[in-house]
Amino acid sequence: MSPGPALALLGAVVAAALLATHTASLAVIVVVLTVVAVRAARHAWVYVAGIAFSAATIFVITPFVETLGSHPIWTGPIVPVVGELDVTREELWSGAHGALRFAAVGLAFAVYALVLDHDRLLEGTRFARRFVLTVVLATRLAPTLDRDARALAEAMRARGIEVRGVRTRTRLLSPLLAGSLERALNLAEAMEARGYGRGATTRLPRASWSNADRAAVAFAAAVVALGVLWL
Amino acid sequence: MAVARVDGLSFTYPGPARPALADVSLEFEAGEVVLVLGPSGSGKSTLLRALGGLVPHFHGGTFAGRVELGGADTRRHRPSELAGAIAYVFQDPEEQLVRERVDGEVAFGLENTGAPANAIRARTHAALDALGVAHLAGRRVHDLSGGELQRVCLAGALALEPTLLVLDEPTSQLDPDAAGELLDLATRQAHDHGLAVVLSEQRPANALEHADRVLFVDGGRVVCDARVEDAVAWLERHRPAYVATPEPPSGSPSPGDVVCSLRAASYAYRDVPAVDGFDLELRSGEIVALLGPNGSGKTTIAKLCAGLLEPQRGTVTRRGRATMLLQDAGRHSVRDRAEDEVALAIRGDRRRARAALESVGLGSAVERHPHDLSSGERERLALAAVLAPEPDLLVLDEPTKGADPERKQALAAFLRAQAHERATLVVTHDLGFAHAVADRRIELGAAAELVHA
Repeated sequence: MSPGPALALLGAVVAAALLATHTASLAVIVVVLTVVAVRAARHAWVYVAGIAFSAATIFVITPFVETLGSHPIWTGPIVPVVGELDVTREELWSGAHGALRFAAVGLAFAVYALVLDHDRLLEGTRFARRFVLTVVLATRLAPTLDRDARALAEAMRARGIEVRGVRTRTRLLSPLLAGSLERALNLAEAMEARGYGRGATTRLPRASWSNADRAAVAFAAAVVALGVLWL
Repeated sequence: MAVARVDGLSFTYPGPARPALADVSLEFEAGEVVLVLGPSGSGKSTLLRALGGLVPHFHGGTFAGRVELGGADTRRHRPSELAGAIAYVFQDPEEQLVRERVDGEVAFGLENTGAPANAIRARTHAALDALGVAHLAGRRVHDLSGGELQRVCLAGALALEPTLLVLDEPTSQLDPDAAGELLDLATRQAHDHGLAVVLSEQRPANALEHADRVLFVDGGRVVCDARVEDAVAWLERHRPAYVATPEPPSGSPSPGDVVCSLRAASYAYRDVPAVDGFDLELRSGEIVALLGPNGSGKTTIAKLCAGLLEPQRGTVTRRGRATMLLQDAGRHSVRDRAEDEVALAIRGDRRRARAALESVGLGSAVERHPHDLSSGERERLALAAVLAPEPDLLVLDEPTKGADPERKQALAAFLRAQAHERATLVVTHDLGFAHAVADRRIELGAAAELVHA
């Protein structure tokens, strides 16, 4: 499948996840996207773990910041400014719904980053090419940062320094940022040296869509409609 | 006919008071291969960047004089406008990759410079074919070896059909064979198609064989500009390290106890074997050089010795402490002061940290931020950081990458002077450095088998 229709399909899944009102529908979307992401690449667990952590945080926090429902499961103390702490069944469902919705959007991005051929996506772009190139380069940031962080941790271990605990790991953030900026500057220089930003560009002729591509776009429209009507 | 002309060029980067280039005047003729030599920080890269307008447009700074490329004044044209007439290949291929697939990467410059759409594919494949890598066209760039990547970058440059090709230390990450092949390909293009090639290198022996003319840059000035035979004579008189045949170490101490031993050690990355049944013994007081082509498993063996990896089969035994200087170690500093950086591995012992900094010639840099140091100083800081814990085994992975011949000579002398204190394993592509520093050399074949010891 060409990356354009594949992206449309992913966008449709995100739209369906945002429109869906049934928690079970969201759970199905999350399971499908997780399977696709994990099967795509061995390092998919980095994305999945990050998304799972964030989703779990949403699930835990939501009952304490929302006031919803009349079936309390737990009633806590009264906290100044915040008020009475309690957790209701409805708040838990709301938290689960929000967490799954977040996970669906995050996993759709993970599938985009791990599965799609960004080069072909760029080649197929008819407009906003600079914007798409920027997005494609930004997509690379996550795996590059992951690689840099591992290299930095290995360099620490090579000096006999164990990278453990929040304090030691925090020390790595500044060199990671400095390394990213240096890398970005080098890339920007190489791009300008290769004529980027000059205007009047041409591009490789685009490959035409296959029947599978057309079917994917039609299916994407159907997924959005499904999200509006039934999910 | 001159394809580029530099007239009275002086340039100072924003910040430092000292000019990076001072009153440089040169011409580059079609069809000639010009080798630019000089110490790290002498202004070579600045000169190369000035030819395509990257200096001053991209880097900023104070620019005086005039640079013309094909008659176009670089002050009035941005680098992107000059692209096509000039093409660059930089030192680190991974940092210049924009696209994910080889054909897209080669086509990127053609698209930017407005090559006819229906000619892009043909020119892309012609450039890949000329460099013998047409079979890589659909591959992902991140799956390629360093040598393949650098050829792809060269193909991207040649596809533009430039009149001036600039290669800034393009072989620094390549083994001698791959480096020789890349230089062969570049110079053949120059002679076959009449383009001027300007090449900077820190391993001059190979490059001198390919050059027609040599420039030596020192302190921002061109102190030698001569045909290659005359330049070699000049180098012999003034900068012998650039042409000297390294002398093997004399009076090596007899090796002491075994510090590290690998027995039938094997390691694979995702089921692809990097090291298979490898044996090695490192003794206190000796320096061992590990040589071999890219992908032969040198770094994996070094990491097994240093304890950064554990063998999946076989055994590794170590006595005492091991530290390792990784490649690009200058990028791995995490503290704000050089002294703190070195003291990190020795529980903040400032006295020992200062002693380690003194030993590598950075005694006056204790208060400086590691990122404010020059690239050469950063590498020395990284060396001090692995020396400070007083290891029984010191492992160095490509410690001469980007170092000029004089710095390599100094590093070899430094390691020799300290050899008796520990066992030292040096992984290197640099045959001359290995010859100068090592008591014993181990050469690996393509699949990590022992070829010669």
